[in-house]
Amino acid sequence: MKALRAYLRSPAGIIGAVLLIAVIAAALSADALFPRDPLALAGRPLQWPGANPRLPLGTDNLGRDIAGFLFHGARVSLLIGLVASVVAVGIGVLVGAVAGFYGGWVDDLLMRITEAFQTVPNFILLLVLVAVFGSELSVITIAIGLVGWTAPCRLVRAEFLSLRNREFVLAARGLGMRDMPLILGEVLPNALPPVIVYASVVMAIAILLESALAFLGLSDPNIASWGNMIGAGRSVLRTEWYVSAIPGAAILVTVLAFSLVGQGLNDALNPRMQVL
Amino acid sequence: MELRRRQALTGAGGIALGGLMPGLAFGQGAPQRGGTLTVQIVGEQRVLNPAIQASTGVYVMASKMVEPLVDLDAAGEPTGVLAERWDSAPDGLTHTFHLRRGVTWHDGKPFTSKDVQFSAMECWKKILNYGTTLYLFLEAVETPDEHTAVFKFSRPMPQGLLLRALPDLGHVIPAHVYEGADIRANPANTAPIGTGPFKFVEYQRGQYLLAERNPNYWRGNGLPYLDRIVWRFISDRAAAAAAIESGQVQFSPYSGLSLSDIARLSKDARFTVGTKGNEGNTAHTVCEYNLRRKELSDVRVRRAIAHALDLDFFVENFLFGYARLGTGPIPSSSAPFYVPRPAPYPFDKARAEALLDEAGYKRPSRNGQRFAQPLKLLPAPWGEYTLNFATFIQQSLREIGIRVEIEARDAPGFLTGVYRNHDFDLTTGWHQYRNDPAVSTTVWFRTGSPVGAPWTNQYGYDNPEMDRTIDAAATELDPARRKSLYQDFVKLAIDDLPVHMAVEHAFISVYSKRLMNSHTNPRWASSSWADAWLAPA
Repeated sequence: MKALRAYLRSPAGIIGAVLLIAVIAAALSADALFPRDPLALAGRPLQWPGANPRLPLGTDNLGRDIAGFLFHGARVSLLIGLVASVVAVGIGVLVGAVAGFYGGWVDDLLMRITEAFQTVPNFILLLVLVAVFGSELSVITIAIGLVGWTAPCRLVRAEFLSLRNREFVLAARGLGMRDMPLILGEVLPNALPPVIVYASVVMAIAILLESALAFLGLSDPNIASWGNMIGAGRSVLRTEWYVSAIPGAAILVTVLAFSLVGQGLNDALNPRMQVL
Repeated sequence: MELRRRQALTGAGGIALGGLMPGLAFGQGAPQRGGTLTVQIVGEQRVLNPAIQASTGVYVMASKMVEPLVDLDAAGEPTGVLAERWDSAPDGLTHTFHLRRGVTWHDGKPFTSKDVQFSAMECWKKILNYGTTLYLFLEAVETPDEHTAVFKFSRPMPQGLLLRALPDLGHVIPAHVYEGADIRANPANTAPIGTGPFKFVEYQRGQYLLAERNPNYWRGNGLPYLDRIVWRFISDRAAAAAAIESGQVQFSPYSGLSLSDIARLSKDARFTVGTKGNEGNTAHTVCEYNLRRKELSDVRVRRAIAHALDLDFFVENFLFGYARLGTGPIPSSSAPFYVPRPAPYPFDKARAEALLDEAGYKRPSRNGQRFAQPLKLLPAPWGEYTLNFATFIQQSLREIGIRVEIEARDAPGFLTGVYRNHDFDLTTGWHQYRNDPAVSTTVWFRTGSPVGAPWTNQYGYDNPEMDRTIDAAATELDPARRKSLYQDFVKLAIDDLPVHMAVEHAFISVYSKRLMNSHTNPRWASSSWADAWLAPA
């Protein structure tokens, strides 16, 4: 409750929450408002927004209804953001917690592996994964999660390193607590706030990565993703710029929403901010 | 806004289909020497030797340096290049080419009949794609003297076919450079030595190819006019459009720009946009069916799919009018072989649904799927036509209860998936017609192509009558009978429908009005450019 009040004191957090709720509402209402398949041919291609009252945002160069595509695309983007960040944060927390808690050679080994991943630019790694395993939505989502786990991992490790010698941990250890309950029950809850904040950043990055893949024509062409529409619109950019601009704005809003929510969470969860 | 767009589209379509070029009224004046012509190339070729690789992507660069025996003139008739004249025995088994005298290779050695013999027997017959089938029955090339090459076939070869094939499948390379070593590994494959008007200078992978004027060119008379040609590899179509507009590039051949940019530039007075000069390179955007898939092995299902496509809508709205409906494997631009006929499978959704019901694939419910598994569609990654067509097929088949899943792949992945592993149900691609059906069209229907050979029958289609018709037409000497055999071929191809030649389109050239004497023959981008010149900016 206290955290929620703190969150609501942050203007960035409020704006972010409003935008995010709008995106979620679009995703939820997609089927009700646009029952047609978003990939279906809705009319003559390249109708400008407003030219046809039946198609308020016009059609893209493949004759698809941009408005319907936008709403259905919100689902895909939220799904990718959510699943990919669960994968990334899940792996990151697991590896980071073990490395930070045990230290020594375990830490050395895990950190060298982490560094190996970090030295490869994550988009290049993503391209390799997609080239090898194909471009289905599930593959892409997991691949995006796999390339993004290193940053949360380092974060968790750093938290664990600073927490594991604190008095409350030593006390728990002195009382004979085993490693597992100690990690899960005592250390992890105290390490989580920055990770939660970072998870919102991971979600934003995941959405951008999928869009970048789609822009290059490497995402799943059978789904209504915003990036797919931007990629398709690239060939008519000089004349019908709205085909790329409208889904681009949607991505901007969604990524901004996640970033602002992250900022709001940071303000709410950061103990230093609470003191002020 | 809507009205304006429509007018623009019909205007563009008129230019494309009629091939009426107002650009010719532009003052030509006397040709001027000098200048550098810069050309956009979308996809880089790893081989610049047209004697071992038949592809417009090779010709557009290499045919300025390496010349064929014969090319086509302004009227589309064969005209001698390295061959001055020719005569054929009545039985069609012997064709004698009298070669041009006083021609030298870029390295100074003389061009002789031995070079023709070597190119034909070692390259065209053994390595060159399409050549391996065309020259299957070429027994020997005899060289009674340095300036005569006698082609001996074991089965009749129609003279018309040979002469129309030679512009593409008849480039001569120097025997003294290639002899006695692995032809495919020869460094001259990327640094060509030929007899052409331009000499190879430099090839920077991924950046450019540079050739300069050959001062000892055999045509003399101050030819060629240009000092230099630069081919710049620009795969991003938006960047290529910007390069054309800023004047850095003067010529974009073979539909190298996006269709919307082509439509836009066609209204710009600085450029000529159109299909004139590309009639010899007509292509079809096709839908190939894999007959190994149970549902597609039924011709009624294939016909239903063809009937489900509203191709008029597709051409007008997706292709900006730069195309027309296909009427069969021989395109309307092929004067000697084309017989006008209507598009064989007009858009008729009710008929499509009835055919599917008849074949036993009824809808389980009103919006149910007719097939248990969706069809897997691999779009050829060659460009907008093939990618848009894939989406259009997906959208159209959804309406008749067939779900299609598109699987995008890069070029090597596509070629391996379709033509080697046969791992597809539907695929969109390009069929290129090259002056005579026997050059690169009948291989799309005849059995017997080795597995993995791209752009051949790899869909499991096997009709002995089709094979017999193709073989009979390829060895028929009487032009009238040959034409009638090809009508049988077209009819069989349409009835059996292993591949739907849905849309016919000539490639579109976009070039600066400064470029003179261009697009003067039906395959200009692939010809030598010896007499092209640049007007001052």
